[in-house]
Order: sequence, then structure tokens, then C-alpha cells
Amino acid sequence: MVSVLEVVDLHIRYGTGAGEARAVDGVSFSIEAGEYLGLVGESGCGKSTIAKAVLGILPPNGRVAAGEIRFQGRDIVRLPPAEFRQMRWRDIALVPQSAMNGFDPVYTVEQQIEEAIVAHVSWPAAERRKRIEELFAMVGLERQRLSDYPHQFSGGMRQRAMIAMAMVLDPTLVVADEPTTGLDVIVQDQILQRIKAIQEQLQKTMLLITHDMAVVAENCDKIAVMYAGRVVEYGGKEVFRTPHHPYTLGLCNAFPDLDDRERELISIPGAPPSLVDPPRGCRFAPRCPFATPHCSDVDPPLVEVAPGHSAACHYLDRAAEFRRMSEDPEIWRRAGEAA
Amino acid sequence: MQGFRRYVIRRLMLLVFVIWCILTIMFGLFQLLPGDPTSIFIDSNFSPDMIERQKELWGLNDPIWLQYLRYIRNMALFDFGQSFFQIAPVSEIMADKVKNTALMIVPALVISIVLGTVIGAIAGWRRGSKFEQSTVATSLFLHSAPSFFVGILVLMVFSYQLRWLPPGGMVSLGGPDGFWEMIVARDYWVHLILPGLVLVSREITGPILLLRSSMLEVKGSDFLDILRAKGLPERQIVTHATRNALLPLVTYIAVMTGLLFQGQVLLEIIFAWPGIGRELVQALNDLDYPVAQAALYVMALVTLALNFIADLLYGVIDPRVTYE
Amino acid sequence: MTDIRAVRTDLSRIRRRGPLARFGEAVLRNLANLKVLLRYPSAIVGLTLMTVFILVAIFAPLIAPYGPFEVTYTAERAVIRLSAPSMNNLFGTTNQGMDVFSQLVWGSRVALMVGLLSALGSVLLGTLIGLFSGYFGGWIDEVLMRATDVAFGIPFLPFAMVVISIAQPSLGLVILLVIFFLWRTTARVIRSQVLSLKTRPFVWAAKAAGAGHMKILFLHIAPNVLPLSFLYVAIGVQTGVMLEAALSFLGFGDPHVQSWGIMLNAAFQAGAMRTAWWWVLPPGLALSAFVLSVFMITRAYEELLNPRLRSI
Ligand SMILES: Nc1ncnc2c1ncn2[C@@H]1O[C@H](COP(=O)(O)OP(=O)(O)O)[C@@H](O)[C@H]1O
Ligand code: SF4
Ligand SMILES: [Mg+2]
Repeated sequence: MVSVLEVVDLHIRYGTGAGEARAVDGVSFSIEAGEYLGLVGESGCGKSTIAKAVLGILPPNGRVAAGEIRFQGRDIVRLPPAEFRQMRWRDIALVPQSAMNGFDPVYTVEQQIEEAIVAHVSWPAAERRKRIEELFAMVGLERQRLSDYPHQFSGGMRQRAMIAMAMVLDPTLVVADEPTTGLDVIVQDQILQRIKAIQEQLQKTMLLITHDMAVVAENCDKIAVMYAGRVVEYGGKEVFRTPHHPYTLGLCNAFPDLDDRERELISIPGAPPSLVDPPRGCRFAPRCPFATPHCSDVDPPLVEVAPGHSAACHYLDRAAEFRRMSEDPEIWRRAGEAA
Repeated sequence: MQGFRRYVIRRLMLLVFVIWCILTIMFGLFQLLPGDPTSIFIDSNFSPDMIERQKELWGLNDPIWLQYLRYIRNMALFDFGQSFFQIAPVSEIMADKVKNTALMIVPALVISIVLGTVIGAIAGWRRGSKFEQSTVATSLFLHSAPSFFVGILVLMVFSYQLRWLPPGGMVSLGGPDGFWEMIVARDYWVHLILPGLVLVSREITGPILLLRSSMLEVKGSDFLDILRAKGLPERQIVTHATRNALLPLVTYIAVMTGLLFQGQVLLEIIFAWPGIGRELVQALNDLDYPVAQAALYVMALVTLALNFIADLLYGVIDPRVTYE
Repeated sequence: MTDIRAVRTDLSRIRRRGPLARFGEAVLRNLANLKVLLRYPSAIVGLTLMTVFILVAIFAPLIAPYGPFEVTYTAERAVIRLSAPSMNNLFGTTNQGMDVFSQLVWGSRVALMVGLLSALGSVLLGTLIGLFSGYFGGWIDEVLMRATDVAFGIPFLPFAMVVISIAQPSLGLVILLVIFFLWRTTARVIRSQVLSLKTRPFVWAAKAAGAGHMKILFLHIAPNVLPLSFLYVAIGVQTGVMLEAALSFLGFGDPHVQSWGIMLNAAFQAGAMRTAWWWVLPPGLALSAFVLSVFMITRAYEELLNPRLRSI
């Protein structure tokens, strides 16, 4: 069977004053029907860029330089704009990072959900209304609130309305880009659980973007770890059970573990590199506690470490050792000082 | 709604207060008039007795506070007295002149706001295009050009040199009279072309520049991405953006109408348009004070009223405004 | 716009240790910053034009062949009425035989004087009112802001015409009226700026250090609103000159001076639009060029203050 979404060697660049930023630099992954893929990485790694490319809403200075995005086998990058426009929301919907500002402030929530329907299907008004009410019930919003303006909603309510809006045409693929950013922790959990429930009930294919490893571990059945425009580790649940890439190890350390709540949280010192002029060799080398001179010279390829599980590091054979060592906060601290 | 009502009441009270202040200032000013009205137009061979009787008639011998109260009451009731020269109550003259001025301003303003909004929105949407750059440059130029000289220029070229259009007036001699006859008459529209164009050329620049910059601001909003992701047609997305960019325009319209009489007086003089501005100039030249003060008062009232409406309108078009 | 160095030496003479001198230094710093304006092409064009106007105004007696009201005669002592441009009268003559070129040159003095005085006066007034209103709040703010509301409710040109016809028309009165019209915008803008400055840490710090109100207001807050005030000076020059021209054109100008607006009024009254283009165009174009030059400087300065505007 053909994958719902297959991203093949995707390159996306932004024109900036300082030169071209290679925000996405040769990324490949695929999502099968009913799968829940988590795309994880620190801020600035190119995650949202991928989401925007999948929905065809890259800003004017961004372009797909090479590669393909196949939706049910069809390359949507090269689709005629009119045809792509018809696919949006009906086939691929988005739950955005910015629920706060994701709604137009001068239209009611209902009007905005309704216009998504009207743009794609010709249901009579009553049916539209029924569908919207049904979805509001599904995400736990009162139907009286339909005629409210976005500013009358709390952050969590807005995000739930966003989820309702994303589901309104029963899309094949739902992309959720950091759907819980800016919400308080309890609301974050509610939102994530709601998305998970919808995914399971409706057998939705989902792409969840987040910087929080714990969220992925809890929700997703497939993971792609991104660093500086590239996928550095990719696979099923074993990616966080037996992580192989030092960056994945770092991310796992940075978020609370459900099984081991006592563990000290260690964030990776430093920040992702500039994508206008990324470092030669392994892009993680400047921050990696295990980096060798070889690392900053030669780019490690993505290789399979087990069936369906791959990582891009020169020292995959020492993964077990790295895992052990990375539990020591000191080793990260030292890497940070060295950088 | 409770809050809105309170806001309206507060705003109304401020309006009344400002009107009262302006009336008081005007009363003071007209007290300072050289001489008193009697000396202006009463025949010098009136006997002192007759003059005294006239003064009594006008209440000029009453104590000043009584005159003041009477003045405020009359103004509030639009009872402006008799013109010294025209045989008509001033209120009637005012009604006629306001109508004439509106016949010039309203079409020009409507065109300026509608067209300016569309042009400005397109310019902002197509940031960096040739269209945007030339629009902005032209608007900045027109915005700073002295409109009365522009008026003189077009008059010289199109009326005197090319003789395409009438050199002034609102209708030809013996032309249509009365409001409805006028606005359906070609004659009126032909007379409106030159002053109307000059007025538009200036007033349109505000909405253009404003819409362009607020469109640029709106363009950065996240919700536009969502609209695009929803697969809406481009036209509908522009509508959303424009609707948002429109918000500051409402405030601007108040400013625009507030400054309107500035240029209006000049254009009415240049194009011999029998509006309220021209009436004021004539009344001042003729020392016809009842007409002059009524004209000033009416212009202030219109300015204030439009400001008031714009303030209220803002709350209507921006759902986020609250009145707590 | 004026010679920065001249102002600097002038102020250095009165420099003393004290709040006034330090405030003066802040003014100078801001003036010196204006050099950055030279990076903007529009400012260069504007400043060049303005320099021409200033030079013409200064050297008016040398440039103008006749006085502002001087009647020109032929060799036969006949008045040269409504002559088209000629060697003798570069821009022709008026219906009373006055030299248009000379009137134009003298008019630049009036324009500069009106522009500068009304701009400085209104900005001084508006800035002070804005500072006090914003800083003290309470009833002071209430009174001052209601006064601005009233000022905003008065249509300027009609009001000015009434006042002038009651008093005697004079240049001083026109300038006063323009100041009365212009201060209100400056006051509102400065006030809102002060409101936000008031909450900044450096103001608390000054308060904690025991600084008095006046010291905080003029040493800590005022220097920060200066760039905005400067902007309103530029806008004021433009508006002031325009308003004087408008009033004069309507016949409410000072009959004892020869301004561009008064020239236009005379030309208009005499029907020169039909017969003598050389009488109408020079004052109109001079006025437009003057206003435009100030506008270009203003625009560049605005962009300097608010970089977001820069991306035209
Ligand atoms: N419109 C843009 N123009 C230029 N650079 C951009 C733009 N949007 C994002 N970038 C750059 O691309 C990189 C990836 O951004 P993004 O996809 O938003 O990352 P993430 O979602 O992982 O935080 C960042 O370095 C960011 O600075
Ligand atoms: S290749 Fe080297 S630098 Fe890169 S992750 Fe592996 S060990 Fe670290
Ligand atoms: Mg992102």
C-alpha cells in the first residue's frame, strides 16, 4: 500500500539578508495510514518549515529547492496551485503552533470553520451547522460559544476550536505543529490527550511536531528526530527505548521520563547552528560530548541500526556506551564549556 | 452592552462639554468685535433714540451674563437670528450652504475612502511591487502638495486654457435647483469634476498610505497562514486581511473629516462653490456676524459629530474593543 | 536643518553645570544625530532645497532687484503693468507693476519666519503640555487633555479667519494662531510617549535616588521625547507655512508683508489665472517646493525614528 505521506530527500531554503538558509536539508520520512509520527527537535531545526511545505504555505522567501513530498503517491510540490488548493484542509489539515493568533480576530469562530467547509464542499447550511456542532461536542466546547469571537476564548478553548476546525472535513492527514505551545501544563495534557483520542478513534494519520521528547514518547508510534535541517534518528518506539544518536540522548535527558520521575533533567548546552552557514561535518559536533576531530570533518550518513531504525552518527557501535555515559550530567556540562 | 451604553454616555457628555467650551470661546470672541452690530449697519443718521431702541430690541443693553445665557440657548436651538444683509433667517442660509458643501464633500470623500482603501490594500498586499512603489511615491507627493495651488493649476489648465470644464460654481446660471434635481443633473456633476478631483487627489492619499501600512502589519499575522492552509481562494484571503487592516481607517476618517474644512474653504473660494466655507469668507468680508458665527459653529459641530461617530464605529467594527 | 555647529558654539557659551545645561546637551546630542539623515536620499534633496531657500532669504536684499512693494517703471516713467517675463522683470510684473521675482524672493523670508516660529512655538507648548499631562496625571492631565479635546473640536481655518477679522490682520497673529492649531497634536503624542516612559526603570531609579519631579521630568524623561519633538518641529514648519499661505490666499494675511500666499491672493483677485500665468505660477511653485522639501526631510527623519516605515 502507498504511504499517506512520503517525504523524499526534501531541501527547503529561505532567502535571507545574510544568504540562503537551508532550513531543511535532505529530509526523508514516511507516514503510513493510521500512523502517528512525531517530528521532534529543538526550536529552529526546520520542523515548522516541513509542516508549511506539506500544506503548501511556505512564505514568499521560502522554496522547495529539491526533493518530493508525496501525498498518497502524488508529488504535491509540483502540483498546479489550483489543484493543491483543493486538497488543502480536505486532505491535509493543520493544527497550528499559534492557536492564539490562528483565528482571524474579526470573524466569529463559526464563520471561520464554516468558510473552510464552503471552500471545498457544497453542503447545505443546516448540514454545515450540524457538522460544526458535532465537532464542537467532540472537542468539548459548548455550542453556544460558536458565535463567539476568538478573543472571547481562552487559549485552551481556542486550540480545541482549532482541532475542531482541522477535523471538519475529515482529512486524511492532520499536521499538528507544536499544538500546545503557550498553554499551561494542565491544558497541554488535555489537548494532547484529545488529539490522541481522535487519532485512535478515527484512525487518523497524524504528524505531530514538538520539541518535547516526552510528548512523542507518550503519543507517537514513529519518531523522526531533527537537528539543524536534517533527520538524525528515525524509527519506531525503539528510538527512545534504545536511542543511538547523541542528540536524541540529549533530548531524552531534557524531558521528564514517565517511568523515572526522579531523574535529573539536563538540557543540552548551546543552541542549534545557523542554517545559512552550517558547520562542516556532523552538525551536532560543536555541542556533542562524544565528538572527535573526525566528526567535525566528515558528515555521518544515516544508516540502519536495526530494521526500521536508523541514525546518523559515526560511532553507532558505541551507542550503548554513550547511553550510559549520557546519564551523567557532568559530561554534558563539560561539552557545553568546550563549545 | 452595559459597558457600551456607559461609554456612549460618557462620550456624549464630553461632546456636550466641548461644544459648550467652543460656544463660550465664540461668545467671548464676538464680544470683542470692533464696535457693536448697530454701528455696522444702522444708518448714521438714525437718531440716538432709534439706536437705543434697536439695542434694546437685540438685548444689547442686558447684563452680559444674560446675553451669554441667551446666546448659549439660541445656539443650542440653532436659532442664529437674522442675517444683516440677506433677507433670511441664518439657520435657513446655513441649511442651504451645508447642503451645497455636502454636495462636494460627500461624493469626494466616498470616492477617496473606497478607492483609497482598495488601492492601499493592494499596494500593501503586493509589497515591493512596482505598483506599490509608484503608489506610495505618488501618494506622498500628493499628500504634501498644497491642494489650493493644485486647484488653481487645474483651473488654469482645464477651464481657462483648454476650456473643457466650467471655471466654477455648482451649476450653470439658471441650472437645476433643489437637492434631488441637482444630483440627477449632468450640469452639477460637470461642475463637480474639477473641485472633486482636487479634493480626492488630496484626501485619497490618507487611506492609501494607511491601508498600505496596516496591510503590511496584517500580512505578518499567523491567521493568514491558516486561511491559506484552509485552501481559501486568494481573493478571500485578501478580504480577510483587508477587513483587519481596515480597523485603523475608522480612526483616521475622524481625523480626515476633522481637517476637511481646511481644504474645503479654499476649494470653495477657488471654484466659487456656494458652500459654507465660502459663505463664511463672504460674511466676514461683509461683517455679517450672525452668519459668520453660525458658519463657524456649524463647521465645529460637523467636525465633532463625525469624530463622535467614528469613535463609536470603532467599537462596532473591532469585536475586541470592550468598554469596561 | 540649521547649522548645527553654530547652535553648538552658541550654547557652549551659556553652558553651566546644572539641569538646564544638561538638558541643552541632550538637545545638542539630538541635533548632532541628525547627521544620520544624510544617509537618506530624500533628506539630501530636501535639505538641498531648504538650503537654497535659506540662502535666498538671507541674501534677499542682494538678490531681489526691487522692494516687495516697489512699483517698476519704464524709462519713460510709465508703470510696467502685467508685463510677461522679460530681461527687466525676470518673472514679469503684477497688475500694479510690481516685480514678481522680487516679491518671490522677499516671500521666502516670510515663509521661513512663519515656519520656524510657529513650529518652535507649537512644539514647545505641545511638548510642555504633553510632559506635564503625562507625568503628573490626575487633574492636571484631565484639565490639559480636555483642553486638547476642545482644541481638536475647533476647525482651524474658519476659526483663524474669524479671529483675524476681529483683530487686525498681522503676521504675528497668524503665527500665534498657527501655534494654537499645531500644539494639540504634539501634546497628545508626547503625552502618550511620557506615559510609557514613566514606567521605565530609570525613572524609578531616579525617584528612589530622591530626584524631584522637575528633575525627573526634564532630565530623565524630556530627553527621551526630544526626537519626537524634533519630528513635530519639522511637521510644524510645513504645516505653518501652508496655513499662512492658505489664510493669506483667503485674504486674511498681513497686508504689510509680501508672502507667497498674499501674492497668490492678489493674483487670484486680479483674475491673473486667465491672463498672467507668470504671476500665479512662481508663488505657487515656490510654496510647493518649500513644503515638499520640508516634507522630504520629515519623511526621512520619521523613517529614522521608526525603522518599520523604512521598508517602502
Ligand atoms: N520566513 C523565514 N525566512 C527566513 N528564515 C526562516 C523563515 N522561517 C524560518 N526560518 C529559519 O529556518 C529555520 C527553521 O525554522 P522553523 O522551521 O520555524 O524551525 P522549528 O519549527 O523547528 O522551530 C530557522 O533557522 C529559522 O530561522
Ligand atoms: S558524529 Fe560525532 S559529533 Fe556527530 S553525533 Fe556522532 S559522535 Fe557526536
Ligand atoms: Mg516551529
